[in-house]
Amino acid sequence: MAGAHVAQAQLSVRDLTVRFPTGRGTVQAVNGVTFDLARGASLGIVGESGSGKSVTAKTLMNLLPRTAEVSGDVIFEGEDVRQLAEQGREHFWGVKMTMVFQDPMTSLNPVKKCGEQIAETLRYHLKRAKKTALAEAEDLLAQVGIPEPGKRVDQYPHELSGGLRQRVVIAMALACEPSLLIADEPTTAVDVTVQKHLLDLLDTLRRDRGMSMILITHDLGVARGRCDEIAVMYAGRLVERAAPQTLFGDSRHPYTDALLRSIPRIDQPSHTRLEPIPGRPPELINPPEQCAYAPRCRFAQADCLESIPQISGVAGMHEFACFHPANTDRGREALAANLALGRTAAGLEITGSGGSS
Amino acid sequence: MKQFILRRVVQLVLVVFAVTFLTFASLNLVGDPLFNIVGVLSGIPDEQCEAVARGEIPDTQSSGLNMGDCALIAQAKEQNNLDRNVVERYGIWLSDMLSGDFGTSFVNGNEISDIVRERLPVTVRLIVLAQIVALGIAIPWGVASAYRANRGFDKVSTVGSFGLLSIPNFALGVILLYFFALRWQIFPSRYENAGWWSELQALTLPAFTLGLGLAATYQRLLRTDLITTLQDDFIHMARAKGMTDRHIMYRHALRPSMFSVITVFGVNTGALIGGALVVEQIFSIPGVGTELVEAVLRNDPPVVIALISVVAIGFVLINFFVDLMYGYLDPRVRAS
Repeated sequence: MAGAHVAQAQLSVRDLTVRFPTGRGTVQAVNGVTFDLARGASLGIVGESGSGKSVTAKTLMNLLPRTAEVSGDVIFEGEDVRQLAEQGREHFWGVKMTMVFQDPMTSLNPVKKCGEQIAETLRYHLKRAKKTALAEAEDLLAQVGIPEPGKRVDQYPHELSGGLRQRVVIAMALACEPSLLIADEPTTAVDVTVQKHLLDLLDTLRRDRGMSMILITHDLGVARGRCDEIAVMYAGRLVERAAPQTLFGDSRHPYTDALLRSIPRIDQPSHTRLEPIPGRPPELINPPEQCAYAPRCRFAQADCLESIPQISGVAGMHEFACFHPANTDRGREALAANLALGRTAAGLEITGSGGSS
Repeated sequence: MKQFILRRVVQLVLVVFAVTFLTFASLNLVGDPLFNIVGVLSGIPDEQCEAVARGEIPDTQSSGLNMGDCALIAQAKEQNNLDRNVVERYGIWLSDMLSGDFGTSFVNGNEISDIVRERLPVTVRLIVLAQIVALGIAIPWGVASAYRANRGFDKVSTVGSFGLLSIPNFALGVILLYFFALRWQIFPSRYENAGWWSELQALTLPAFTLGLGLAATYQRLLRTDLITTLQDDFIHMARAKGMTDRHIMYRHALRPSMFSVITVFGVNTGALIGGALVVEQIFSIPGVGTELVEAVLRNDPPVVIALISVVAIGFVLINFFVDLMYGYLDPRVRAS
């Protein structure tokens, strides 16, 4: 697709597919996901629960359960990550590639002091002496903006607020100076007032350290100002990928379009009615050979139900997977035809115009 | 933390009072204490002894059983303060006991404190060894079966642990004795104490007899708790930190999973003392259990009371340490 682009990439994911065999059938959690991440860049992966965004992150971090069936390539700084996992390679995860989890209330070990938990990483991977590691831990706590770091190292997680705990988790992830940080919904479980501080902190740390970041979120707004590129996932597939300005101003995939319409925007007049997306996320067990979004899509045509649209476009610029993209003539035609009929090809009943009331 | 310990100490003292009083009372309120001491002689009517005291009849005729019976009764009443009420007697007995004077045996007049000093350490060593055996087996076993729960090893070990749980320890003791002491002669069949090494050898089979069943209990509990802990986010976090599974199991998952084991550890010590009683008999170990059985059989209440009190206090103390262990295992306990 894009030769020169791949060569520069720090992380390159090719046709990643993850399946989980279950009693009811095989769950297709991730389906042919392909993306590149340049050194020092930040990528936002956006999608609702079950879209495969967390499974993608867990694949990178080698955290999938043993039952998962993975195929595709994950190359990080020239090394085959899946092979490293099979070889049981040590001092890779937690050193070069680290992760921050969603819920700081549960992601710290309740019976270990915060300082100890940060120092543990340094002692384990970098073989630091206990005292040095604890001093470094204190230093890291200061770097993530925790007041009185000297006191906090000796405190247990339950003695800290959610926001502070997430900072401890971030400090832990940064301890070995990773070159890629994966943040899986890092602010979903903390107070709204703390969210912005944490996101800004991650952003600053990333820039200062020249680190790359993958920010996983269900909130387009969170990804907007902080990512060089946003990838939207739906039902295990990447459906649209573009720089934030492009995505927010000129989205192509009807799902992205619907997501944007479902969140309040400051530039719209007040009391603008938000539009919910009809229907539910699709079953991932034995999905039919059609566009996964078609049953909920206002633009759906007969061809959407016959084959799966592949993601295409200019890599690194704007890619999307849709036969009748929004904000194009093809899309407008499809929508107009559906509105005239009052229903889409998938049988969804639609009325009125999309947008403001 | 200080306050936590202080509260527990106050509780401990109250429990010790309750336990010792109940033990004392059970042998002083149930039945006639005088009967317990002098047997059928306690049936001699008071008037007869009063008549003897007044010199109206000679002591030899007081009961028609023996010479000097009334004198014996008077001595028994005097020595055991039987003219006082049970609460006063308890007070005297407790203060004597706390100062190390456990009284004397009714039957052979031995100092009970000597008996305790001689017998208790053997039983304590046996129980400690049994707990070491139990935990030493249960922890790696529990970790191994929780690591790949419901897979091959875990399934086999479930069968194994239920097998161990269902063998009564007297049966297990006899089996071990037969194979390891009589047939293969790896360990001695009788207790001997010529230095710590010979005692350790002598206590090995009894310790395994007591410890194997316990190990199976601990393994079941640890396995269940570990499986729950392994679902926790901080375990995923530890994996994301790139730690090996072994490091995660022992350094992260084990400590928060020890609660049930520690609880049962404390409670089971009581059962272990009961079990030691039987096992001491099988392996002829001169411990508290053997002495307790003998004292009951020879109708020697002061010895029984003293030994039961010592055991009860030991039990309470162990559970006190278990409470402290909760605080050590989980800092959140200290705060609440």
